[in-house]
Amino acid sequence: MSLTPSQWAALLPLLIPVFGACVIVIMSLDTDQATTKWIRGAMYGTALLAVAGSFWYLTDLWKAGSQPAFFQLHMDRLAQFTGIFVMVAAALTVLQSWDHFHQEGWVKGETLALLLFSAVGMMLFASTTHFVTLFLGLELFSIPLYALVGTVRARSESAEGGMKYFLTGAVASSCFLMGGVLIYGLSGTFDLAAAASILTVKGLALDPLVLVGAALMLLGFLFKVSAVPFHQWTPDAYEAAPHPIAGFMSVATKGVAFIALLRVFPGSFAPLGALGMKMQAVVAILAVATLVLGNLTALVQSNVKRMLAYSSISHAGYLLLGFVAGTPAAYTGVLFYLVIYLAMNMGAFGLLTAFGLVGEHTTFEDLRGLGWKRPAMGFAAAVFMLSLAGIPPLGGFYGKYMIFRELVGTGHVGLAILGVLASLVSAYYYLRLLVALFLQAPSAEAERLASDRPAVHAPLAGAAVLVCAVIVLAGGFLQYALVDGFAKRALVEGLGLLR
Amino acid sequence: MTWLNLHPLTFLVFAPTLLGFVLMALPHKVGKLSRLLGFLGALAIFILSLAWLLGHTPAAGGTILAERAPWFTLVGLPVDYALAVDGLNLWLVLLTTFLVPLTMLGTWNSLKDRLGTFAALFLLLETGMLGALVAQDLFVFYLFWEAMLIPMYFMIGIWGGDERRYAANKFFLYTLSGSLLWLVALLYLANKAGGFNPALMAQAASALSFGVQSWLFIAFAVAFAIKVPLFPLHTWLPDAHVQAPTAGSVILAGVLLKLGGYGFIRFAIPMFPQAAMHYAKPIALLSVIAIVYGALVAMVQRDIKKLVAYSSVSHMGFVMLGLASMTVIGTQGAMLQMLNHGISTGALFLLVGMLYDRAHTRMIADFGGVAVKMPIFTTFFMIVTLSSIGLPLTNGFVGEFWILNGTFLSGFGWGRLYACLATSGVLLGAVYMLWMFMRVFWGPENKDEDSGTHHLHTDLNAREIAVMLPIVVLIVWMGVHPKTFVAASEAPVTALLQEIKAPAPRVFVLKPAVPEAPEGSETHAPDAPTAHEVH
Repeated sequence: MSLTPSQWAALLPLLIPVFGACVIVIMSLDTDQATTKWIRGAMYGTALLAVAGSFWYLTDLWKAGSQPAFFQLHMDRLAQFTGIFVMVAAALTVLQSWDHFHQEGWVKGETLALLLFSAVGMMLFASTTHFVTLFLGLELFSIPLYALVGTVRARSESAEGGMKYFLTGAVASSCFLMGGVLIYGLSGTFDLAAAASILTVKGLALDPLVLVGAALMLLGFLFKVSAVPFHQWTPDAYEAAPHPIAGFMSVATKGVAFIALLRVFPGSFAPLGALGMKMQAVVAILAVATLVLGNLTALVQSNVKRMLAYSSISHAGYLLLGFVAGTPAAYTGVLFYLVIYLAMNMGAFGLLTAFGLVGEHTTFEDLRGLGWKRPAMGFAAAVFMLSLAGIPPLGGFYGKYMIFRELVGTGHVGLAILGVLASLVSAYYYLRLLVALFLQAPSAEAERLASDRPAVHAPLAGAAVLVCAVIVLAGGFLQYALVDGFAKRALVEGLGLLR
Repeated sequence: MTWLNLHPLTFLVFAPTLLGFVLMALPHKVGKLSRLLGFLGALAIFILSLAWLLGHTPAAGGTILAERAPWFTLVGLPVDYALAVDGLNLWLVLLTTFLVPLTMLGTWNSLKDRLGTFAALFLLLETGMLGALVAQDLFVFYLFWEAMLIPMYFMIGIWGGDERRYAANKFFLYTLSGSLLWLVALLYLANKAGGFNPALMAQAASALSFGVQSWLFIAFAVAFAIKVPLFPLHTWLPDAHVQAPTAGSVILAGVLLKLGGYGFIRFAIPMFPQAAMHYAKPIALLSVIAIVYGALVAMVQRDIKKLVAYSSVSHMGFVMLGLASMTVIGTQGAMLQMLNHGISTGALFLLVGMLYDRAHTRMIADFGGVAVKMPIFTTFFMIVTLSSIGLPLTNGFVGEFWILNGTFLSGFGWGRLYACLATSGVLLGAVYMLWMFMRVFWGPENKDEDSGTHHLHTDLNAREIAVMLPIVVLIVWMGVHPKTFVAASEAPVTALLQEIKAPAPRVFVLKPAVPEAPEGSETHAPDAPTAHEVH
């Protein structure tokens, strides 16, 4: 069995990060890595190179268009979209990690290797409709993340969060696997698209076992997007994880889980029309619960990372509302939303690093008055928070706008009203961060701590934050270009929707 | 120059933002330079707007300047980048461009820190206000309407008083709550109309059942009423006004509140004429409550700034009453009253700011005999006070008189009663303003060491006089020859009301009011309850 050159080209974006990760693992065998600066530099350089190489080949593929599927691997526009999405997130994470791990005093090469493996798993996860490959992708991106959450072993909370995440994640993976097995048992094929056709032909579309199987698979996705009631791991894991890793999880895990959900449920399971309707009702209820619980709990957080965790839960609610509307335009909105969400959330977590907040010192109190000390970062913070709250003319507004518009268009006016009310609540806790940054003077305690710490130099994290701010601003003024040129093409030429 | 000839409005709207970003990028150390640059920029915008807007002869439809180009189509809804200045918004645009540099000059030394950032935010706010005023596409209007909140939030929150964080959050979230629900209504209607063009949306709205129209109208009305603010949605206003720095209060009162009334006349009433007629009575009732309640609450205030804030509630109640009267004279009165309130209340906030900068207190009880120490200041305060309570020959009189006249003659069953009730608000207005004036300026000099009067050492300087003079000129000009300021809006208002009430037999009562109103207003004075109370 041999691969044609074009198939090699389609595989390269996956292979390059794997190769880079292996090189980094070898480098990190050097016991002096904590003391020798050039080795650390080489490891980070390799990681960035691997991400850039993968990104480069992905843009090449994007220019060429959708690739024919092989080995159950669909390198279509949607997969390329996912790849670009994940690689941008990974690059931002690597940049922020350099500063964050130096601040924490815990620079280890294996974090980078794990990050790259996870990124490859994510691309695999979102580019297949074959259940085994899907599960492989899920585990390949989840297991490194379990380890990454607990990576700073010097902190006991870190290990605790990692363990929590691992245990709940393992249960969710098992459920996902069970669901796939049920579908396989009834249809006799692992290819989900084929299975859907077979089940329809057999008249088993509404068979209780099929429903259970589909529901268990849905549970797996909902766990990864951290929708209520599968969200409890999120705040603990984010709080335990190093800031850049928390940002990466909040963005990339959620993003690829939504894209894979899009590929499987409205995509592959399209023939099972009636099942789709049942799932839609379930998703609507869960979306409402996610919005209400996520937003209300975020209100009372005193730790910025936990607030961002609940905020990320509530954003899963808005995205799920896009699935409730269920029109091609709504899915376009979901993809656009994810792009903006990538920038604003990676940026928000990057701020913590850029402001030099380490360990547990990530409360609103710790941020007081910092906006004036670092005006550029403060400006970026205002952009991220207002965009997360959905205030025009920033990118976040247009994501919500597209989803709410489709909800109204499909007759779900009540859900749209609930959505805007949730937005209103969210504005309060996002403003709290701006209140801390600009409207409050630093507390005496914070001043003392700041004088104890060495001056913060986080040039790479700062650069990453500014890149994110530019993307969010661009999303507000060139939204149509992003939607038409990127999100819509991924959907049309990836899933064949909107044709 | 060709680009500028084609896009004068784009330039007017976005030049402040460009300058604002430049100022934001300048270092803190050159704050004084930034303040100067900001002022000169705003002044240039004002001069340009005067030259361009008054220099163009209006086209047939009354449009003075217009730009329209397709912007983007998202989720099937086309959005046009459509801006225009016509009779309805001409003077509000000029009021905005006038007040911004004036306020900057008037509060030159009020702030001590982060001058550049303040000037930058002020300029961003100007973009938001101008954009909302000239937008002719509802999506564009919504963008500017919301974007306006951001600079105002920071202006209150950073440079405000002791309770500034609470006030800023309340202002932001209160306004946001109205506009988010309005967004759903907007999306619902845009979905029916296939776009955000107001004409198309009005057409689509007319095809809907009255029940749906009512809901949509209520969503529009609540969003605008919060901004006005109409009783009982006014509770954010006293907090925001009292906590905001002087410049913020002036612009809040001067322009931001006007956008609520403008939203009614530009969008809510024309788009849902039936519902607007149907809900005229409750709106009028709330307006009357706002007039009387605002005045009563103002009367018992101990803080001058809070008193002025509640007087805003009362005065904006007149605006809403005029709009609800659905008569040409009432609506024209509302248009004028919006300008009046912008000038008079803006000036009051400026004056209170000048007093506060010297005495560091705003409590009425801390003063007494200020007239002895600051004669020039007292003179200006007197003139503005008289304008605020509607003395004939000042601007306040004409607007209130037209509104009461329009309400009385509206032909609605409630018209006469409400006009009488609202008139009591004029009386109360005289009571609270003059009583405050008496306690602060007259009487024996308050010699107490801690008193505000004791800390007054200097009268107004040349800069402050330069700020107040154009205001006094406008107060008299608008009182003597209001036609200058309402001539442009007469045709669109008349056309709008004729369209709304075409089948109604009431139209004849409007006719005598329209042509004689501007010049004849003084001769009507004996009939108007206003005059008696003032004397």
